[in-house]
Amino acid sequence: MSENTSKNIILIGNPNTGKSSLFNSLTGLNQKTGNFPGVTVDKKTGVFYIDQTKVKITDLPGTYSLNPNSEDEKVAKKHIEEATINDIIIVVTDATNLKRNLLLYTQIIDQGKQVILVLNMMDLLQKNKHEIDITKLSKLLNCPIIPINARIGKGIEELKFAINNYKIKKNNFIENNHTSNPVDETMLRLNKINQIVIDCLTKNGEDKSYLLTKKIDNIITHKFYGYLIFIGILFFIFQAIFAWSAYPMNLIETGFLWLSNVVSNGLPKGVLNDLLVNGIIAGLGGIVIFIPQIAILFALITILEDTGYMARVSFLMDRILRQFGLNGKSIIPLLSSTACAIPAIMSARTISNYKERLITIMVAPLISCSARIPVYTILIALVVPQDSYFGIFNMQGLLIMGLYLLGFVAAILSAWVMKLIIKSKQQSTFTLEMPIYRAPRWSNIGFEIFSKVKIFLFDAGKIIIAISIILWVLSSYGPDKNFKKITDKYATESIQQQYSKQEINAFVAAEKLEASYAGIIGKTIEPVIRPLGFDWKIGISLVTSFAAREVFVGTMATLYSVGDENNTKSIREKMMTAIDHQTGKKIYTKATTFSLLIFYVFAMQCMATLAIVYRETNSIKWPIIQVVYMGALAYISSFLVYNIFS
Amino acid sequence: MTLDQLIENESGIIKQINDESLAIQLLAMGFLIGEEVKLERVAPLNDPILITSGTNHISIRKIDAKNIDIEKIR
Repeated sequence: MSENTSKNIILIGNPNTGKSSLFNSLTGLNQKTGNFPGVTVDKKTGVFYIDQTKVKITDLPGTYSLNPNSEDEKVAKKHIEEATINDIIIVVTDATNLKRNLLLYTQIIDQGKQVILVLNMMDLLQKNKHEIDITKLSKLLNCPIIPINARIGKGIEELKFAINNYKIKKNNFIENNHTSNPVDETMLRLNKINQIVIDCLTKNGEDKSYLLTKKIDNIITHKFYGYLIFIGILFFIFQAIFAWSAYPMNLIETGFLWLSNVVSNGLPKGVLNDLLVNGIIAGLGGIVIFIPQIAILFALITILEDTGYMARVSFLMDRILRQFGLNGKSIIPLLSSTACAIPAIMSARTISNYKERLITIMVAPLISCSARIPVYTILIALVVPQDSYFGIFNMQGLLIMGLYLLGFVAAILSAWVMKLIIKSKQQSTFTLEMPIYRAPRWSNIGFEIFSKVKIFLFDAGKIIIAISIILWVLSSYGPDKNFKKITDKYATESIQQQYSKQEINAFVAAEKLEASYAGIIGKTIEPVIRPLGFDWKIGISLVTSFAAREVFVGTMATLYSVGDENNTKSIREKMMTAIDHQTGKKIYTKATTFSLLIFYVFAMQCMATLAIVYRETNSIKWPIIQVVYMGALAYISSFLVYNIFS
Repeated sequence: MTLDQLIENESGIIKQINDESLAIQLLAMGFLIGEEVKLERVAPLNDPILITSGTNHISIRKIDAKNIDIEKIR
């Protein structure tokens, strides 16, 4: 076999069949998840090698059948329909639930596709003392069958061998009778499957896997304890984000300060030095520092989904969420939004009702995402000391939880308003599988964290670095005439006698920043944001934040590092002592800081999310409405907060 | 009678599902016409319900359960 031959593999299967475990063990870290605009968002793809053959693999969203009922299933169906005779489709099934899982397989076979059937969870099957006659099943279905245990990687080599030695064959399951409606056709398939399963499956014991689950459910979905546990878990997540991440974050902060000092002193003074230290390193430091928090958040959310807990939360919350035009399934997008609205909005695809899905998409960005954490953290630190406690709870953590709660309440209320406005005749449904509880698959969680952090660091990072550089240019240069005036002003002898050289440098830098292009932009919008307590420097940050909220921190770093030649202070310290150029008082008072916090809770400041909303709703109308309603909410609330506290 | 009329731990045989899209969904999730279905649990706020058939466990709303005709097993 020559080196440049390559194969295409498509992975499909019911939800909860361990499809992603298989995908991970085949590809390792050699995978891409498109979660950002510009990259394909629908699917995970990866590459692996069997001997010298390159194999490209695509993982499709979990689906029960090829009769799509949600956007998610439509994506899967479309990919299967487009598969060619040379593409091998691997149908992953749960061996303990063969009857149901085979339906999808028969539908794919009857589309004339090439299939390898994988029976996963063979260990559970053996635990139940059930046996499948694989040779017989393979003969009856006329299809290669590979039993595996994806959790521990058993059977993977056999699967690779089967892929490499696959022979194209003609196959069909039921005769093509065009008269039948989809319900009759499905029943016909299921009856035939039933016969085959009876022939091949020997049960020497009862399936006990649900007994434990039932006991756990008695508590988890209890009318009192159920909600209490949910609130407790939410509380734990927020405390974890702050308590656990403090140490690595301090380490990163110190590291970047050290790095910028080394570069600043090691390189000759000049434009390049300035760009590196105040543009690139400052911007980069602002992103890297939030990786610990993002990793913890995604880890916890993935664990909750992986164990099966999330389905129970949907079960508990459906009735409540329905009152607000949402769906029990909205809980996954809403909770994922606490990490990032982009994957959250995409996960709304599992909601089959159009109106409920649309409302979920529209309100998800109101939930505070991890990009807001940097902004919250830095602003809260300005008004609440790190070591202040309320009882046993860290005060900063409590405040951030309050902001998250505020976002959540706003999302729910906005949803309710939209429920009254948006019209739909489609009946709302909520059919959700309750998988058995199982231990989280730690390697999957590792992969999930890795891919999410990678997206944050590289995709968001690219934008942030670019903006940091643009900002550095805008804040370092301005109309020559104005810059010369400042230099001339401080060149006079009387001033030079009055102040030290260092003081004069600081004055010049401050005035130059104000006269720079960035200063001009900030000054232009200042009248609009003055009523909220914001000055022109905050104005610049609001503009740059539109690319991504976390840019706020980078912007602040850049704006305040101009003039700090020795780079001795952290951003927080610099902001703490910043002075309002109009009043001469400290700019970050309680009133301004809270007003700014509220603004960041509500405002739609994320281009990437808007792009996704446009794509998912297939209309420019919804993202525009989103910007307007969230903007209005932000402006009015900030105005109120500023006036209450000042 | 219809599925929503059962109380916890009661079972019935699925006779017919009156909504085509719901029928396709339920069939694919392992709830077959002619097979036994059990109302396993009612959510704390009285809706949705958790129903089981064999090893399949799903949650549906009562409004959808109204579309599922059953014959109660005593």
